[in-house]
Amino acid sequence: MSTSSDPAIATAATAPTHETAVVLPANLHARPAGQLARAAADFTSAIQLEYADRTVNPTGVLAVMGLGATAGSTVTVRAEGDDAEQAVTALAQILAAAE
Amino acid sequence: MSASVGIVLVSHSAELAAGLRLLVEQIGSDTVPLATAGGTDDGRIGTSYDLVLNAIRSVDRGGGVVVLPDLGSSVLTARTVLEDHPHPDVLIVDAPFVEGAVAAVVTAASGADLKTVADAAKEARHVHKF
Repeated sequence: MSTSSDPAIATAATAPTHETAVVLPANLHARPAGQLARAAADFTSAIQLEYADRTVNPTGVLAVMGLGATAGSTVTVRAEGDDAEQAVTALAQILAAAE
Repeated sequence: MSASVGIVLVSHSAELAAGLRLLVEQIGSDTVPLATAGGTDDGRIGTSYDLVLNAIRSVDRGGGVVVLPDLGSSVLTARTVLEDHPHPDVLIVDAPFVEGAVAAVVTAASGADLKTVADAAKEARHVHKF
């Protein structure tokens, strides 16, 4: 293994990343999953939702529902890209407002 | 943004198709062009060539149409319609009916193109429910 810096890794390291954790006020069921998927599609950043050691792309509405995330548990929103902060803010708001 | 992809739900049962429509409008969007072709012309369980053809025509906004059949003769009827009225931008997609419809409508609502919407419906087969 070479120890020299890899340009691809260096580029990735400079892309803005953002992350926040949300404690769910309600179960992450179908309606908020649909809202998350539609909101996530509006951003260019790569977005992930993490719950209980599982990670899904929130643009996949079925995958988000399949997490089975329940009220009181924590979901982490992570994004990497130019609009990472906006993406995380938008998705965290949907998660925090789930009824 | 280009024209939205249209979605057609083909079912043996008008009630099943109508119920699925209500569900996907709640989860996804009520702005995506969506039509149902459920049951026979006289309201029995079965499928109708004319209902399928009219449904496809009614949701075609120029962005293409994804046709989702529930099973069996829904597939055969939809195929016959497309053989008689071939159109490269109308696709029958092999997908689970409920999950495929939800994925297709959510994806179409975000402005995705025909292939992306069709792929989202197809991939629904591989997403675990829990």
